[in-house]
Amino acid sequence: MFRLNLKIALRNLWKNRIYTTINIGGLAIALAAFIVVVLYVTYETSYDKDLPNYDRIYLVGRSLPDSKTDYTPAPLSKLIKDSFQEVEAVGRARNTWFEFPLNTARGRVYSNKAIQLDLETAKMFEIWPDKRLIETKSMMLEMYVPSLFRKELFPNEKVSFPRLVGIGSKKAGQTVEIKGIINRSDEHSNLKFDILALGKDISFGDQDYGTNNFQTYIQVRKGTDIGALQQKIDLLYKKELIKSGVPAADPRIAGRSVIFLDPLKNLHLKPMAGTDTNNRMVIALFWLSVLIMVIACINFTNLTIVQATKRAKEVGMKKVMGAYRIDLIVQFIVEIYIQCCVAMVLGLIMTEVLLPVFNTQFNLPLSLLNGDSALLWQLPLILFVITAISGVYPAFVLSGYKPASVLKGNLQTSYKTFWLRNALLAGQFSIAVIFIVGLFIINDQLKYMRTEDTGFKTGQVVYIKNIQFYNKPKDFDQARARIIKIPGVNHVTVSSDIPDGSKPGTSIYKLSNKALSLDFLDVDFDYFETLNIKLKEGRFFSRDFYADSVNSAIINETAAARYGLVNPVGKIIRGCDMDYKIVGVIKDFKAQGFERAVEPAIYAIKNPCNNRKTKIIVNIDQNRMAAVLATLKSQWSDINKLDGEDFRYEFLDELYGRLFKKQEQLQSVFFFAAILTIFIAILGLFAFSAFTTNNRIKEISIRKILGATDLQMFKLLNVFFIWIVLIANLIAWPLVYLLARQWLAMFAYRIDMPFFPFLIAGIVSITLTLLTVTIQAGKVVKMSPVDALKYE
Amino acid sequence: MIELKNIEKYYANKGVKSYILRHVTTSIKEGEFVSIMGPSGAGKSTLLNILGMLEDPTYGEYEFMGENITSLNERKRIELYRNHIGFVFQAYHLIDEMTVAENIEAPLLYKKIGGSERKSRVADVLDRFNMVAKKDLFPNQLSGGQQQLVGIARALVAQPSIILADEPTGNLQSAQALQIMDLFKKLNEEEGITIVQVTHSEINAGYGSRILHLLDGVIKEDVATTV
Repeated sequence: MFRLNLKIALRNLWKNRIYTTINIGGLAIALAAFIVVVLYVTYETSYDKDLPNYDRIYLVGRSLPDSKTDYTPAPLSKLIKDSFQEVEAVGRARNTWFEFPLNTARGRVYSNKAIQLDLETAKMFEIWPDKRLIETKSMMLEMYVPSLFRKELFPNEKVSFPRLVGIGSKKAGQTVEIKGIINRSDEHSNLKFDILALGKDISFGDQDYGTNNFQTYIQVRKGTDIGALQQKIDLLYKKELIKSGVPAADPRIAGRSVIFLDPLKNLHLKPMAGTDTNNRMVIALFWLSVLIMVIACINFTNLTIVQATKRAKEVGMKKVMGAYRIDLIVQFIVEIYIQCCVAMVLGLIMTEVLLPVFNTQFNLPLSLLNGDSALLWQLPLILFVITAISGVYPAFVLSGYKPASVLKGNLQTSYKTFWLRNALLAGQFSIAVIFIVGLFIINDQLKYMRTEDTGFKTGQVVYIKNIQFYNKPKDFDQARARIIKIPGVNHVTVSSDIPDGSKPGTSIYKLSNKALSLDFLDVDFDYFETLNIKLKEGRFFSRDFYADSVNSAIINETAAARYGLVNPVGKIIRGCDMDYKIVGVIKDFKAQGFERAVEPAIYAIKNPCNNRKTKIIVNIDQNRMAAVLATLKSQWSDINKLDGEDFRYEFLDELYGRLFKKQEQLQSVFFFAAILTIFIAILGLFAFSAFTTNNRIKEISIRKILGATDLQMFKLLNVFFIWIVLIANLIAWPLVYLLARQWLAMFAYRIDMPFFPFLIAGIVSITLTLLTVTIQAGKVVKMSPVDALKYE
Repeated sequence: MIELKNIEKYYANKGVKSYILRHVTTSIKEGEFVSIMGPSGAGKSTLLNILGMLEDPTYGEYEFMGENITSLNERKRIELYRNHIGFVFQAYHLIDEMTVAENIEAPLLYKKIGGSERKSRVADVLDRFNMVAKKDLFPNQLSGGQQQLVGIARALVAQPSIILADEPTGNLQSAQALQIMDLFKKLNEEEGITIVQVTHSEINAGYGSRILHLLDGVIKEDVATTV
C-alpha cells in the first residue's frame, strides 16, 4: 500500500509540476535562509564551547560607578586562589595591542594581538603546548606562535623548537626565542591571540591594587554557588583595596558590589563589560528567520489545500473502499514529508551556494561540512517541525472530506478561517513592505555617507603603517625630506591619529575658567594640508613660526563654539600641564564617521600628554599614485630605518569606508530579507488567489454569460487583493517609519526621512499583486463558461 | 439483508424542514436486483447514500445484515465497506493517478489481502472483463464505457455481497449502457450478488427484479418486474 500511495503522490506532484515547483522551491529557499541563520546562531553561541570546563569558567570583572570593565588588578588572582576552596584554577591574561613583525630568514608575519597568559589561563583555554611547561620553575615568559604562523615563518622547512626569530626591524637586530607551536586557533575563541607569551606569573609579582591591567579568569568546582562566591570575592577585594589605602567611603566601592563573575558562555555575545548588541542581533536574526520559515510553511499549507479539490475524489473513493481516516492522514503527511525532504535537500544545496556570500559579507567561517555535530540533530528537528507545521492541517482537512458530498461531484470547499487567511496575507505583505522601505532608506543613508562632504579629502591620501615614534618634528625631518622629494607627493605628515573613525584620547583643557574635555591630537606640520581640511580663522602650523613646535595649538569650530569664543585666535588655552596659544581655527570635519557628531578637538605639535606620533599620511597626486607607491616601497627601509622591511600602507578612503561596514552588512541583510519576503508574499498571494479564483469559476462563468468583459472580470478578481495589499502598506508604513527613524537617530549626520521609499514599496507591492492575480485569473477568465457550468 | 424502518431525512433551514425522504420503510433480500426510480429531486440518490452509509438518516432504523447501522461506530462501518459493499458511480470516480490495474487493486489493499493473492485476483478480474491489454493505461485514456467497466471491476474485486450503483449508465451511450446492465444482470443471477441501482431509465430498471418508485421522498410504488 505504501508503494502505491507513493506512486500516486509522485504522479500527482508531476501532474501539478508548476505548483509542486513553487511549493517545494518556496520552502527550500526559506529553509536555505533558515539553515544559514541556524549555522550562524550556532556558531555565535558556541565560542569556546569545546573546552572541557566550558560551564565552569568565569571572567572576573569590576563595575565602576558608570560602567563595567573586565580589567582587574594583578594580585587579585592570587588572592582568589588562596582564599577560596571552590575555585579550581585562576589565571590572568594581558593584551598588548601593538603591531610588530616577526622575521626569519625566509618569512615575516605581523602580529597585532600578542597576548600574555598565566600558565593556568592557558591550561583553562587548552592553549598550552605540553605538560613540561606547567612544571617549569622559570619565571621567564616563553613565546609560542599558532600553527597558522608556522608556514609563513618557515616555508618548506622542518623546524625544531626552541628557535630564534627576529622581532621588529631587522636592522634593530632584536631576537626572541619561540618555544613551540600552539595548535589551537583563536578564531572561535574569546581569547584572541597570534603570539602567546606564557609564564608562571605574567605580573612578575605585581602587588598593586590600584592599576587594573589584567583579565582574571577563574575555573570553579562543580556545583559552586556563583552568587555566593561573587559576594565573597567582592568583600575580600574591597578589604584589600582599603588595606592599600583607598578610603572605605570612596564612592567607587562604598555601598555597592564591585566584583562580578561573567560566565564564559556569555563573553562573546553579551559580556557584562561590553555591549549585548551582538546578542540582540543574533536573537533578532533568529526570530526573523523563524518567522520567515513559519510563513513559508503556512504558504505551503495553503498551496496544498488549494489543490485539495483535485484530491477530494481520491479521498472519497478510498473511504468507500474501506480506508480509515488515519490511513489517509498518514498518507498525506508522508506525501508532505517527502516534499519537505526534497525542499530540505534543495535548501542545503542553496545554503552551500549562499554561504560563501554570507561568509564574506560577515567575515565568518561558516560551513555545512565542518563536522559540526549540532547540524546532525538540528536538521532532522527542522524537518520534523516544518513537516508538522505544513502537513498536519492539510492532512486533517483533506482526510476529512465526506464521501457523500465529494462523490456527488459538486464539491464546495468552504474555508472557515477566511479572516485568518486575509490577515496572513496582509501580514506577509506588511513584512515585505517593511523590508523594501527599509532597504531603500538604508541605501539612501549609505549613499549620503559616501557622497556627503566630510570636511576633508581622503581620495589621494595614503596611510603608512609605522612602528617608529616621531614625537618631535625634527625626528621626522629626514624621513619627510626623502618622501617629499618623490615626484607626485604633495604633502606628508605624521600624527597620533588619523581620520579613520577611531576616537582620539581626551583630556581636560581650560580656557578663561571654562574647562572642557577635548579630543587632543598630536600632529606634525602639514597635517591639515595633507588632509585638505579647511581653515576658518587664523592660520595652519607653519615652520616659519618657531613657537608652533613649542606652544601653538589649533582648535576646531566646535571647540571654539563650546568655549563661547568670538575671536579665538591669540587666546591662551591650558591643558596637559602647559599653556597653548591658539593660532587657528579649522572647519569641522567628520573624522569619526557619521554616527558621532564632531567632537571639540585641539591639535598641537608639542605633546606633553605624550601620545605617540606613529601614523604617517601622504598626499599623493592621483595620477602618479602607482609610481609613488612603488618608489616608496623600494626605498622604505632606507627612508624609515627603524620601522622594518615592509612598506605597509592603506588608502585612507578605504579605511574610512570601513566605518560603513556595519551599515553595508545591514544593507545586505535587508536586501536578502526583502527578496525573500517579497517572494514568500507572492507565493502566498498566488495560493490565495488560485484558491478564490477557482472557487469563483461558476460565478465568473455566469457573469460572462451575462455579458461581462474580460477586463471587468480581471478587475473583479484583482480588487480584493489590491485592498489587502493597500492595507498591508498602511500597516507597514508607520511601523517602518518608526523603525527607520530610530535607526537614523543613530547617525549624527543623516538624511531627512525620505518619502520615495514608501511610495516605491507601495507601487512595487501593488504591481506584483496585479501581475500575480492577473496571471492566475487569466486561465479562468479565458475558460469557456460551458465547461464550468456543465453538470457532471 | 437490508431492513429500513420509517427512514426520514430532512434539512432544517430557519425552522422550516425540507424533507428529502419520508417514512421510507422497505426491505431488500439477499440476491435481489432492485432499481430505484423517480424524477429528479425525488430522493433516489439520498436513499442510496443512506443504504451505503454515506449519509445518516435524520430519523428511523436501518439494519444491514442484522446489524443496526444507526448505532454503528466508524470502524465497524468501514469494516462493512471493506467486506460487503461495492460502490459504482455515475461519474466512475476512478482515481486518475492510478492505472487500471492499480485502481482495481486498491480495495484489496484495505482488506489486507496478501500480495500474491491480490495479483491473482486482479488478473482474474481483468481477464473476466477483457481488459488485460488495458491494465497499464490511466483512466483518462479510456472511453466512458471502459471506465465504468473498471469501476465495476473495482467494486467486484473485493467480492462484496451488495453493489450500490448510482446511475451507473448515466454518462454512457446506449450501447455501452446495455453492456453494463447485462453485466449487472449476469452478476446478480450467476453469482448471487445483491444489486441496488438508481436509474432514470425504464429499460435499465427492467433488468432488475424489483422497482421502487420514489416521488418527493415517499415510496409510491414497489413492484416486481415481470421477466
